[in-house]
Amino acid sequence: MYFRKISALTRTGGPGCKRPNRGAPLLPGEQMHQSQPENIDTSSGAIPALLGRLLGERGLQAWVFYLPLAFMVLFFAIPMALTLLWSVFERTQYWMKPGFTLFAYDNFFTSARAENYLYSMIHSAIAVVIAFAIGFPIAVFVRRRLPQTAQHRVVLLFVLPFMISELVRVFALRPVLGRTGPLNSALMELGLISKPISMILFSPTGVIIGDVMSFLPFMVFSGFLAMEAVQPYVFEVCDDLGASTRRTFIDVIVPLAAPGIFAGGLFIFTNSMGVALVPTLLGGPGAVNAGLIANQAIVALDFPLAMAISAIMMATLVLLLYIGHRLFDLTKIIRPIS
Amino acid sequence: MRDDFTSFWGHRLKWTYLLGVVAALLSPVFYVIVISFNEHGFAARIYEFTFDWYRVVFADKVLLESLKWTGYLAVATVAVAVPMGVLAAKFYRRTQRPVPFLVLMLTPLFAPADIMASGLLVYFKHLNGAIEALGDSFGVGWLYGWFELGFMTAVIGLVIYTLPYVFVIILITMSRYRDQQTEAARSCGATAWQAFWHVEFPQIRAGVFSACSFVTILSFNETTRTALLKGGFDTFSNVLVSQMLNIGMSGESYAMAGMMSILSMVVIGAILIYTLARTERLERRARAMAEPSMSA
Repeated sequence: MYFRKISALTRTGGPGCKRPNRGAPLLPGEQMHQSQPENIDTSSGAIPALLGRLLGERGLQAWVFYLPLAFMVLFFAIPMALTLLWSVFERTQYWMKPGFTLFAYDNFFTSARAENYLYSMIHSAIAVVIAFAIGFPIAVFVRRRLPQTAQHRVVLLFVLPFMISELVRVFALRPVLGRTGPLNSALMELGLISKPISMILFSPTGVIIGDVMSFLPFMVFSGFLAMEAVQPYVFEVCDDLGASTRRTFIDVIVPLAAPGIFAGGLFIFTNSMGVALVPTLLGGPGAVNAGLIANQAIVALDFPLAMAISAIMMATLVLLLYIGHRLFDLTKIIRPIS
Repeated sequence: MRDDFTSFWGHRLKWTYLLGVVAALLSPVFYVIVISFNEHGFAARIYEFTFDWYRVVFADKVLLESLKWTGYLAVATVAVAVPMGVLAAKFYRRTQRPVPFLVLMLTPLFAPADIMASGLLVYFKHLNGAIEALGDSFGVGWLYGWFELGFMTAVIGLVIYTLPYVFVIILITMSRYRDQQTEAARSCGATAWQAFWHVEFPQIRAGVFSACSFVTILSFNETTRTALLKGGFDTFSNVLVSQMLNIGMSGESYAMAGMMSILSMVVIGAILIYTLARTERLERRARAMAEPSMSA
């Protein structure tokens, strides 16, 4: 096959590397490659020519690349933006009707829900700090101390716990953290405690443990991706200049890896606030977060309230993403892989 | 450069810490798997190995039905999300404005499941109403029920959830692909499809298959989005949640959780082993090609 030969011949790369995808199908509005004729034979008739034009590189083939964009706009961006509109609709018995009322926001901010929302923000922030303290040093260790060939393999170790169902991982913590579970039994057998600790399950502590256990791998992934952008000579310079480990970490590593730390932190923060499963299974009575409040509002058929909470949550997310991007340029994280 | 290899114990201590964290993350799951094989269930003093709880799961018609639906959802999600991820990665590499596209593709990673699913639920109900009103005004019946909660809406929810993962996996794989190969194929007269299928795809195939497996696992494990968007059928994880909340943690629940974990571990473990073996093979080949020829 001549394609295989081409593959072998061009594997070495060359100066043309920097220009992406020359020769791939065109996006609408792009100029066709000089050496590439349009290949439309108009001599055989108008219909084949029209079909060729429709299905050709300036027709459907070009537009097909917009499918993911259209899909995400239609089923993600628009619904998430519309939550703001629906949150001011009037509630009916089973649904809602167009109108303008701030009742849902009033209902949210003047009830215990706002307080619960704030508490869940605090718990989520604590989960972020703990995940950073546990996970980020691993990313630094892997990037800084392991041979290049071994780095990705070690990071892959964290894929396994991340890909096991979050439901199972959270569910599994119940027997482990329970009064008769292995954690309490082990601590008692070691003589570290005289009676089982009950505050690690069905309490805010249980929720924080659940959040950290669920989302910690993401801190390792994003931290590692950010560290990939840091050139190894930076560490050599630090060592040559006699910087201490603490100083290198605070003044060099953290600022350079800030986009990854921010992205990992944001992922953990928003998911801790919005995933209802963790407080439902580990929080006990009274434990709620934004996701659980929205869920409860839907069960109570209070759709405008659910949309108000979704809108607040999405606004928080977009604002944090915007701030993060302005401060740290979040595209830096994906640069090594694109 | 000062390195940890000068400090024997420092390096080993860091390795122990890393492996300890992985073990801590996995230990609850292993604990559940161990319990699921105990005839006496959780917190029993005696441990007797049995497959009985798994037999109970496979004899339960509701669970088998939910497994069937979970499988259908996984297949449909793979069929949509993976090609879409390939298109998205190719689009990203060519677009003049990559940042807005990147934000759009990756934001669903940060949007919590309950929040996204609530928004989609209300959106589908409105969309369905709007399309039906359109059908009424044109007097056509086939527009009815397009976005009624059901299989299609659940698939849409799952595609939005899994697409960012596919996008990133494919992007990583494509980053090793040299675009001049496509250009060379086109210069030799290949169509865009031929250049993709015969030149580019063989080199990103591993990433595409990994993406398929990841999507299967993610959709199999997903609970919240399917719970809110699925309409009238149940998935395996939805049945597990309702059992845990309504009946409590029975031996059957442990077996269900064990099944989900074992399946995920086998699939992800296979991908990891394959990826590592392939990387090793490619590195060996690269080393062999780089070595100077010894023949005279």
